[in-house]
Amino acid sequence: MSESRPERRKTRRRASDVVAPATVADPRSDGDRAADHAAIDRLASDVLPALMAKLGATGLGEIEVREGPWKVRLRRPAPGPNYGRRASDRPSRTQPGHAGHGHAPGAFEGHRPARGATGGGGSHDHSTNGSGPVGTPVRAADTPEPGHPERRRGDPDPHRAVATAPAVGIFRPRGESKVGTRVREGDRLAAVDVLGVPQEVLAPADGVVGATLVEGGEAVEYGQELIVIERITSPVAGGGDRAREPA
Amino acid sequence: MFRKVLIANRGEIALRILRACRELGMESVVAYSEADRESLPVQLADEAICIGPADAKRSYLSAPAVISAAIVTGCEAIHPGYGFLSEDDSFAEVVRAHDLVFIGPPSDVLERFASKEGTRRLLASHGLPTIPGSRGLLGDDADALDEAERIGYPVLIKPSAGGGGKGMRMVRSPRELETAIKICRSEAKAAFGDDSLYLEKWLEDNRHVEVQVAIDRYGQGVHLGERDCSVQRRHQKILEEAPTPALSEEARRRLCESAVRAAVAAGYENVGTLEFLVDRDGNAYFIEINCRIQVEHPVTEALTGIDMVRTQIRIAAGEPLGFSQADVQLRGHAIEFRINAEDPEHDFRPSAGVVERYLVPGGPGIRMDSHVFAGYEVPPYYDSLLGKLIVWGPDRATAIARARGALDELLIDGLVTNIPIHQALLTSEPFLEGRMTTNLLDRVGSASFLAAATRS
Repeated sequence: MSESRPERRKTRRRASDVVAPATVADPRSDGDRAADHAAIDRLASDVLPALMAKLGATGLGEIEVREGPWKVRLRRPAPGPNYGRRASDRPSRTQPGHAGHGHAPGAFEGHRPARGATGGGGSHDHSTNGSGPVGTPVRAADTPEPGHPERRRGDPDPHRAVATAPAVGIFRPRGESKVGTRVREGDRLAAVDVLGVPQEVLAPADGVVGATLVEGGEAVEYGQELIVIERITSPVAGGGDRAREPA
Repeated sequence: MFRKVLIANRGEIALRILRACRELGMESVVAYSEADRESLPVQLADEAICIGPADAKRSYLSAPAVISAAIVTGCEAIHPGYGFLSEDDSFAEVVRAHDLVFIGPPSDVLERFASKEGTRRLLASHGLPTIPGSRGLLGDDADALDEAERIGYPVLIKPSAGGGGKGMRMVRSPRELETAIKICRSEAKAAFGDDSLYLEKWLEDNRHVEVQVAIDRYGQGVHLGERDCSVQRRHQKILEEAPTPALSEEARRRLCESAVRAAVAAGYENVGTLEFLVDRDGNAYFIEINCRIQVEHPVTEALTGIDMVRTQIRIAAGEPLGFSQADVQLRGHAIEFRINAEDPEHDFRPSAGVVERYLVPGGPGIRMDSHVFAGYEVPPYYDSLLGKLIVWGPDRATAIARARGALDELLIDGLVTNIPIHQALLTSEPFLEGRMTTNLLDRVGSASFLAAATRS
């Protein structure tokens, strides 16, 4: 993702989280060096905060700005692990597949309320349209606990658990999602590609991969069931494997 | 035009856009949150895709979720509806960067009009009168006192960033100003991270009148008349009508013409609304522009016969407007009633629950835009709008008579709604005489207003 974008404020969506010159360091005159340092200072103190705000505002995963020979790229930290959770079954009407359960990681939370989106508007006697959210409470049961390898409440199926899509995007399986693979809760099984940024699909329980419900490259919606994990319910003789539950 | 459009909104506006797409022969995909899985737009959609959990920040307000949904379903354009991401220039820019079309003004236009203060200066430079106020942002307290003296009390202290009434105070004297300015600064700092303030003259007993414009990419623009949205409760519109009873036909024409002229000159594109305050003497002051389709667009549709959503989509697709000012004929009188799930007797607190019975009124000039059905469970996460009753008549008196009947017929069981406040309005003298101002309900309090109407 490196085609040149001369103006500022053009968003890109691939990058690393560093501030670095596009040109490799080479013998430079003191004057050039001073100019580069000045540019770095400016990028760090002026462009970077603006970019961070923009990244927060758009909720994008990555952003890049170029200016002359310099560029600044910013990437959000990868989301923490997160687990699917059983919910009620209902076939979806959508072409990408089955009904959704589960919960996304708190990866894309940034938003800037659009003008008019939150009411009030700001003039003493004009109103806004009564549109958009008026506070968006989240049910406690729906709140994921990013980074914490614990299944959430609800009666788990004693025999199987299903890993669900953490976001809407393209399904990318890994080797770990092959049928028969032993997995532990929290293992990375696959990813869902959201605008080029992978969102991890994690094993919701210890067990064996029983089935992959979606082909690689297919579109999936948020909460869609992706990979069935057959739980290991009783200690198997001679098992000794890492997935076995302690008695 | 587009082959396929993603509808990134919910409720009645998602349904409205869905219908417009059908009419235009375009496929559509409804993007929904988990809380809206059973909603009518999802049920009626050609295709629907879940984009996130109930929390709007992770669904309807999530740019990556919305754009990703558009890409994986093969859409060419995104309709944001109103609220949510509809006026977010960053979102519009990212949509474009992914080779999709944002149905609304282009991102650079949204950006140009993103600051209220900047927009006011821009449109003032194109001939629109604005409310007298401080020259730029306030310096120290002495500067604030000088500026207030120059403008004349009462004045309104306003934060430069944000909205929603935070950091906003009306003051009537220098002493009040000195106290209030400190509070406003700290409120603004806390809410928006920016404590810069400015002053505006406070206008009492004013009316809210807005002008609908449609401007294509080629600079061809028309106005579609105005709407009077003076009936409000705490800055929230609850009833809109057109034409405004506040202005003469000549004054309305002048206002609308100056609005579209300024918007074209300032480079606005697509449908938009220029909001004005009209004072007791009929002077109109520009306050802001809404860069989206508005909740009350059906009022204009009823008067002009022009489909606003269709017009919006066509302009976004790069088509010329296709009609001129002479083609816009305003006929009769229209009133829209916002039907909200809120309890007028208990300070309009939102009510959630299951709609048990739902009966829609009918007859000449009646239109109901709603996503409600019997058995629908109103989720607690979003705004309380259940639908909009739009009534048209050849004149205001007929429209009001039809509205009375329609409100009586409208039945929404299982939830508390604000229908009684509308019925009360239709018996109140200020409304019947067309003298309503933006403080009509708040001055006496909605509860007293309601009680007075039931007694009469």
